[in-house]
Amino acid sequence: MMGRTIFIDPGRCIGCQACVSACRECDSHRGKSMIHLDYTDEGQSVASLPTVCMHCEDPVAPCAEVCPADAILVIADGVVQQADTTRCIGCANCVNACPFGVPKIDLQAKLQMKCNLCYDRTAYGLAPMCATVCPTGALFYGTVEELQAERPGVQVADTFTFGRSEVRTGVAMVVPADRVRWPVPGGLPVVEINGKDVRR
Amino acid sequence: MRHAPRMAERAHPPEVQNRANHDVRPYGDGVTEPPEASAAAEPPDPAARTGSTGAEPGTPPSTGPGTTGAPGAQLSAEPRTAEPRTAEPRTAGPRTAGPRTAGPRTAEPRTAGPRTAGPRTAGPRTVTARATAAGVIVSALLILAIVLGSRLLENFDSALLPYAVATVFLAFGVAYRYTVWVSAPGARRLFKQGWRSFFSVANFRKAPTALPRMIATYLGFQKFLGARSHARWAAHQLIFWGCILASLITFPLTWGWFTFTSGSGSGPGYEMRIWGFKIIGFDSLDFLGWLMFHGLDIAAVLVIPGASYFLWRRMKDRGAVTGQRFAYDLVPLIALIVISVTGLLLTFSSIFLHGGGYEFLAVLHMVSVVFTLIYIPFGKFFHIVQRPAAVGMQLFKYTARQDQEVLGCRRCEEPIDTGPYVDNLRGTMRDLGLDFDEWAEYCPRCKRVLRGSAYLSQVKKGFK
Repeated sequence: MMGRTIFIDPGRCIGCQACVSACRECDSHRGKSMIHLDYTDEGQSVASLPTVCMHCEDPVAPCAEVCPADAILVIADGVVQQADTTRCIGCANCVNACPFGVPKIDLQAKLQMKCNLCYDRTAYGLAPMCATVCPTGALFYGTVEELQAERPGVQVADTFTFGRSEVRTGVAMVVPADRVRWPVPGGLPVVEINGKDVRR
Repeated sequence: MRHAPRMAERAHPPEVQNRANHDVRPYGDGVTEPPEASAAAEPPDPAARTGSTGAEPGTPPSTGPGTTGAPGAQLSAEPRTAEPRTAEPRTAGPRTAGPRTAGPRTAEPRTAGPRTAGPRTAGPRTVTARATAAGVIVSALLILAIVLGSRLLENFDSALLPYAVATVFLAFGVAYRYTVWVSAPGARRLFKQGWRSFFSVANFRKAPTALPRMIATYLGFQKFLGARSHARWAAHQLIFWGCILASLITFPLTWGWFTFTSGSGSGPGYEMRIWGFKIIGFDSLDFLGWLMFHGLDIAAVLVIPGASYFLWRRMKDRGAVTGQRFAYDLVPLIALIVISVTGLLLTFSSIFLHGGGYEFLAVLHMVSVVFTLIYIPFGKFFHIVQRPAAVGMQLFKYTARQDQEVLGCRRCEEPIDTGPYVDNLRGTMRDLGLDFDEWAEYCPRCKRVLRGSAYLSQVKKGFK
């Protein structure tokens, strides 16, 4: 996990979409929002989950690893940049390999785009757009110490399981204190699809 | 990651590795997902459901106490220290967590190319050897072609020797870099599939015009750039056609393949010859003759506005400025402008100055061209070599789509991509030791929703 990063607490998310609107204002992808806001149990619950790029650290950025054009740059402080416009060929390898479902693709422009932690802002010590506008603190930008100073007793986790694999990320999620030593489930293996048990 | 020992050793401190032996199974047996099919019917882009933008200013990041090693600052069993972060690439051992400095990051970027070659790929030494061999073979072939094409150097213009030598280095560099590039799993697999689609007789019978159409619209007229921005498309077209024109003229000239001969010794009748064979005769004083002798000036006139626009954009456009690097983003544009301007000045010198300063300008022009040619394999210009390979990827997807081989998400059944493409990606992921390749058969939105519902049901029940 990076020192100063985003902490996501879905428990605080009210689905107001302020982050989605603010993300559009980011200079590096003006007019297009890169944050995802999903309703995990739509129709039954108001629960919502904001998803920014998790900036995977280990393995280092699966999106960059599968890129056939070496278009995705991972800079030394762990920020996984969006695709280089010169190199990206729009093959969508990154879109489908990302375990968190983050990158977007413009098939006409043959260009991948994704959250780059508002590099134009964070490079100068400012918080990303989404964290700046989030009214409930579901998206918090700072160090873990700053988070804990504001929310005593809060713990965070930066490791996710996908089947037998673990992915450690630069962006972390808030978890209950008794769960901190365990990785967060990433959704794989899927045991049920649309009410049908798909376990073998 | 447990299944990539190289990575795990490098990145996990001992405490985290011990977690693998934890006797409690994390969060139950598996992950459930919501049964509602209605969720799947939602549009995938949350931006389509824009809500209020009038939210109150949120909670800005606190700069409260405890920024350096406060009690209880342990994260996921990883030891944290109070030292400030450094811009060095991460290494094993405790990672630092101090506050970042407010200045712009100056860290050297890393690419995820050959460095990330997984355990199931060729070793770096093999790749280097193969790339060196490819470079040597290609440059040797070029030297042979120069010698034979110039009729055993009879037509070779020794004044252009530095250019010819630079093209030999260019050939080595491009072949070397290309080989390294296609040795990485992602590129190698798509490269193979692209050529397989290219050589498939069945594909050709089904869609004989597909490839020429893709070459014209994608490589020639670059329609995809128009979708990014009309101005960038126009500027890139100017640079592209200018460079194509200049390359078609200068490369054969410097190799001694093109010669211009005159029967009378002083014109105005000239003959253009390729490899010594007469191609066309023209009068140097008519329009065709003017075009022949000013081809490079025309190329410069095309390139200068295009490159200047991009240079202006690199200084003004806040999106372009973000993460911009001098050597990667600005040097190529400056090089193009310097080449074009010095080239035009040569014409200016010969017409208006009676050759004044010609030698100096010729050396300046030569130095800028030689530098640019040698730079091509290493920087932004490598896209000239890489981009045509993308046609193979498109052909691979196109032919599978013709065969109705589109794969739907396993949960919501929204189309993801073609079946062969997803299989190819899964192979790439396995090559790289990314053992969650099964996940590639779910659409991005379902991945997020499944992760969200796993969090909802297993981490924070009801998000409380």
